[in-house]
Amino acid sequence: MKSFFRMSYPYILWIAIFIVAPMFMILLYAVTRSGNDTLTFTFTLDNFARFFSDPDFIRVLLNSLRIALFTTIFCLLIGYPAALLIANLSDRAQTMMLMLLTLPMWINMLLKTYAWRGILLSTDFGSEFKVFIGMVYDFLPFMIIQIHTAIAKLDPNLLVAAYDLGANKWKSFLKVTLPLSVPGIISGITLVFLPAVSSFVIPKMLGGGDYVLIGNLIEIYFQQTGDWNFGSAISLIMALIIILAMWATKKLDRSAQED
Amino acid sequence: MTKKMTAVLLLICLALLPVCSLADGTLNVMNYGEYIDEKVIYDFEKEFGVRINYTFNDTPESMYTKLQTGVSYDVVVTSDYMIDRLIKENNVQKMDKSVVTNLDQLSDSVKNLYFDPDNDYSAPYLWQNVVLCYDTTKIDPTKVEEKGWSILLDPELEGHVFLYDSPRDIFMIGLKALGYSMNTESRDELMEAYDWLVKMNQTIHPSFVTDEMIDGMAQGEKWMAMMYSGDATYASMENEKLAVWAPLDGTNIAYDNMFIPANATNPELANQFINYVLDYPNSMLITVETCYTSPNEKVIEDVTGPGGEFEGIESYVPRTGYEKDEIYTDNELLRTETPELLVKVKLQ
Repeated sequence: MKSFFRMSYPYILWIAIFIVAPMFMILLYAVTRSGNDTLTFTFTLDNFARFFSDPDFIRVLLNSLRIALFTTIFCLLIGYPAALLIANLSDRAQTMMLMLLTLPMWINMLLKTYAWRGILLSTDFGSEFKVFIGMVYDFLPFMIIQIHTAIAKLDPNLLVAAYDLGANKWKSFLKVTLPLSVPGIISGITLVFLPAVSSFVIPKMLGGGDYVLIGNLIEIYFQQTGDWNFGSAISLIMALIIILAMWATKKLDRSAQED
Repeated sequence: MTKKMTAVLLLICLALLPVCSLADGTLNVMNYGEYIDEKVIYDFEKEFGVRINYTFNDTPESMYTKLQTGVSYDVVVTSDYMIDRLIKENNVQKMDKSVVTNLDQLSDSVKNLYFDPDNDYSAPYLWQNVVLCYDTTKIDPTKVEEKGWSILLDPELEGHVFLYDSPRDIFMIGLKALGYSMNTESRDELMEAYDWLVKMNQTIHPSFVTDEMIDGMAQGEKWMAMMYSGDATYASMENEKLAVWAPLDGTNIAYDNMFIPANATNPELANQFINYVLDYPNSMLITVETCYTSPNEKVIEDVTGPGGEFEGIESYVPRTGYEKDEIYTDNELLRTETPELLVKVKLQ
């Protein structure tokens, strides 16, 4: 056991350098003001106050949450039947379908979004709808694969037993398949909601320049104004919301499993 | 034991890799995308027996962020006001004028600008101004010429306008339309321009885009665009319905210059490269490929002269000597405020 633990040192080092240290720096930037020298810091909550006291920023935050929520719901509505359909195919067809599903993921997301831009540019859809289409397209495979994995793991005997006890197809789906696929749904939701809420390339490329989400806002402060402190504060607010969302889905998952 | 030896050897090789690329034969160049004729790069590599590592950036601000991370570049092309800032912050080294002798080929319009009065630190690469490019079959030219930037408040243009999605350029329009300097240090004037832009946005709902406006205008997608003159030149050569006008309220004349960052690893070769780019044949290749204006006096003469690539195309040479035109200066108020204000303009 001890020797195995030693093998994890490189990973711990990796995590410390590339995940913990940057997070700590974001935290440090977020609670300080620009113009600090290396030794003295003035701690402040001004950056957070500035964000929450400005109705425009709150609107951007709400827009981001709303479009991420719609994207997640829509992905779930298409993704679940698709996953169910695939899971009921023969083994060979399943492998084929899953490969077809992952095939577009081998192509860089930026290129796929460019292709969508070409398609959507000349249409009369609103910016928000264009961004929504782009997000659903990009994130749908994550939803389908997660749910498919959960459904494929189900013991077919459970369904046989349900039929045996007189349940029809619909009822056995509601009582057996659906509850047992909840873990897949939850991880699908997590994998779609998180990238959707913080995405900045898709709104930038499909939104026609006048559509701003929280990711774009963060980019502006790092790339354009050079106000890394405020940019970090927004990133931190974003991170806290994501952590909260993950905690809530975990909790949902647990209570579903207890049922 | 041998396994360990191999591992150690591999590690040493890996450690040496970055050293190899720092050797004499590599030049790290950073420029905007689609802003050169690649033949210039290949020819330089062949002539000097070196390799050019060519990278892109999209705005002066993102270039600045890249430089700040400590990555070393040998030659960087960027805009006037950013060079102003970098020189003030001691991030630029002097050119070796015994090597960069082609500075004498430059036109007087591009030499000795405010941020580098003797061209000690930087050499011009291309230049341009900001103009209105419009479809003469949709908009009456006399109206454009009369109203200048204020034509963007005309409700008839609703949904038919491209604007360049760059905070300072957008605020330049607002400030110039109100008769202020585009380098204002007054917050009141800036906020007045903000109100003007909000009204403009609510009246004509422009599309805020970047390079896609070039093909967009060439293909007649919109009636009007605020463009950099080089792009307008290209679009108007593709689509004969287009006309180009620099509003009399004044506009931005922009100079993109080359400089050698203070932490360059190969300054000697960098000086050679700058000199090479300034030379007549290479400056000619670059201007013909990009449609932006060459800084080389003889090139300008030849491409606009009889049989030249840009013969009869007025927008090729930006207006100079007009008192209401300005060059961007590095300005803390505008640098820190305009990006956020532009987001707010879009949200209203």
